[in-house]
Amino acid sequence: MDQTIYLVTLVGTALVLAASFSSLIAFRFGAPLLLLFLGVGLASGADGLGIQFDNARLAYFVGSLALAVILFESGFGTPFAIFKQAAAPALTLATVGVLLTTAIFGAAAYYFVHLNMLESMLLGAAVSSTDAAAVFFLLRAGNINLRDRLRSTLEVESGTNDPIAIFLTITLVSILALGELPNAFELSLELAVGFAEHMGIGAVVGLIGGYGVVRLIEKLELDHGLLPIFVLTLALLIFAAAGSVGGSGFLAVYVAGLIVGNAGMRNASVVKRFQHGLSWLAQIIMFLVLGLYATPSEFVPIFGIGLFLGLLLIFVARPIAVWFCLLPFGFTRPETAFISWVGLRGSVSILLAITPITGGLEHGRLIFNLAFIIVLASLVVQGWTIGPLARRLGLIVPPRGGLVDKVELELPGSARHELLAYRVVAGSPVERGQRIPRWARPSLVVRGGRSMKYQDAGRLVAGDNVYIFVSDRYPRLLDRLFAGRTDVDPEDADFFGAFAVDPARPATDLEAIYGPPLTDAERKLSIGALVSTRLGGRAEYADRVLLDPIELIVRDVDENGKVVGVGVSLEPMATPAPRVPIFLSAGEMWDRFVLFRARFRTRPSGQGEVSATASEAETKT
Amino acid sequence: MDLSDLIEVSAIMPALKANSKKQLLQLLAEKAAAVTELPERVIFDTILQRERLGSTGVGNGIAIPHGKLSGVKKIVGVFARLESPVDFEALDDQPVDLVFLLLAPEGAGADHLKALSRIARVLRDNETVAKIRGTRDANAIYALLSETATPHAA
Repeated sequence: MDQTIYLVTLVGTALVLAASFSSLIAFRFGAPLLLLFLGVGLASGADGLGIQFDNARLAYFVGSLALAVILFESGFGTPFAIFKQAAAPALTLATVGVLLTTAIFGAAAYYFVHLNMLESMLLGAAVSSTDAAAVFFLLRAGNINLRDRLRSTLEVESGTNDPIAIFLTITLVSILALGELPNAFELSLELAVGFAEHMGIGAVVGLIGGYGVVRLIEKLELDHGLLPIFVLTLALLIFAAAGSVGGSGFLAVYVAGLIVGNAGMRNASVVKRFQHGLSWLAQIIMFLVLGLYATPSEFVPIFGIGLFLGLLLIFVARPIAVWFCLLPFGFTRPETAFISWVGLRGSVSILLAITPITGGLEHGRLIFNLAFIIVLASLVVQGWTIGPLARRLGLIVPPRGGLVDKVELELPGSARHELLAYRVVAGSPVERGQRIPRWARPSLVVRGGRSMKYQDAGRLVAGDNVYIFVSDRYPRLLDRLFAGRTDVDPEDADFFGAFAVDPARPATDLEAIYGPPLTDAERKLSIGALVSTRLGGRAEYADRVLLDPIELIVRDVDENGKVVGVGVSLEPMATPAPRVPIFLSAGEMWDRFVLFRARFRTRPSGQGEVSATASEAETKT
Repeated sequence: MDLSDLIEVSAIMPALKANSKKQLLQLLAEKAAAVTELPERVIFDTILQRERLGSTGVGNGIAIPHGKLSGVKKIVGVFARLESPVDFEALDDQPVDLVFLLLAPEGAGADHLKALSRIARVLRDNETVAKIRGTRDANAIYALLSETATPHAA
């Protein structure tokens, strides 16, 4: 018995270590990290090093707990502002998008694989959710600085669609397990009612639980070391509670995480760090277990069809679903295309594909193996190309402000204040003599190993460490004071325009100097208001407004969404509209179709017309 | 096309001394008045008006003040290299030591903007800028300004 403990621990730690080390490789080469975790699992499993692990129930159990931890962290790390900004499009994607993806993919799978309709839909449901960890990691590791709304939408979508895909999959499994196929009407009614009940209970339990956790933490004076464990345990309690009363435990933990993370807890950063680490571990364990559970040799006979289905998901099902869901939200064509492409599948899909096995379905193993191959295809094809695609679609924005070197510290017993330690960077405004405002309470300066009062330190020099007590509402302003100089590099000048204009000045000034035609109503506005109006009332960092012959670019927006920095580009043609790969955009397909039809129609008439439209078509392709 | 269409050697001040942005603009207006035969005051007011809209300091110690003026016959430039940089409220807060003033006729429209962006492009080339900073010879500056545009022109 003793020997087993050591052996299991030895193997387990070795695997986790191997996976952790592979993360170093991933950061260096930008390879999809999760693929490596999965690879370590596969390589150690039945067909590799020969570790026998064939317990579907255990794999599902471990995976579910790990997913609960990951979803809690995902909610915890999402600020309300981001959630609000993206809620409508993201939740549409998470609900309607999941259903559409399932339906389209399921219908296709029905034609190509020997599965009945429900089983095909089951496979579709399993692979319908995007993987939060994969999306977050790739966006961060790839240093992909996306426009705000796009990024928020992707992050919120990937966090919220898991519960829905899980519900759909499990419902389908239980219907299939009954052995008799209900008629379509009963099925959809059951799904709709079940869905409302499941999600409603989950959300309510999550809300109550989340506020409960916040209250408890405020009441109890817990030890710092114990606090994160306490929070984690409560999160799992919420997960279990919601599940046991017939709600979605996964939705409940996400909602609870969202509430706890935004409650402005005193020790939020301690919990955050712990959650972050734990979510990594959960991710590693999940992929390892799923990799171990799979048997790659079984993939061989179905590899071709699996790959085909994976590509179908990537190129057909997801783009159509995304396009349809985002229609009402005014995303540009490149943005819609990018959201389709960042539909990475991950561990959740594999985890869900275990349920047909645990449910004892006849084709359970086949469904699992197909889902596994689809996830692999998605991680490789999409995971490796996100960065280049974002660049090509012109969705990357230059980073805001210069480098800030700062540490945040928790203050015991002081609500709503934090201690910030900034390192003075050469070229930052403070280094060049800008005063630190009084509300920031600069208290201590450490210079060359000696500490002194801020009042005695005189002018700050590069390399000083400044300690500042500050109300937690102000750090962003301070960051600007301490940020290193933003080098105006040529690409940024192209991006943000050569000249700056003051958004507070009247728009007529702009008209007088550069001559863009304005309407009478617009002449009464300030430049900032003009930009906002032209953008439909909601300006965002890096938005562009074409006012022929110039183009205005939003350089900065304050907390209330007011434009506080505008650039003027004199060469609006310098940034041509990016070309969207046709397969990712229904709009693009429609345009081509219209063009094709126009070409076809003109054929019988004059020869010259034909060649004109033909050459037009060529220039567009 | 290169910047030699816009500027003449006589309009280059290779070692100007100014203590403030205002003084610098005045000296530029004075020179421009000599080139265009227009009153200095009118030119000064025009470029000051543009500065009120936002500094024309484009970063890296370079400023490109500009404006439209009804009396000007063609697009015309004045260049100054300062002995010591002055604060110009530029975007990157760096003081400015190279200034290209551009004046355009009221109806210049697109040509005005084209000229401006060409100047911005030439002065974005670090090598050219370093060479200009390193000389006090108006002819050399003229040569640098006019030659750099050629290889880049499409």
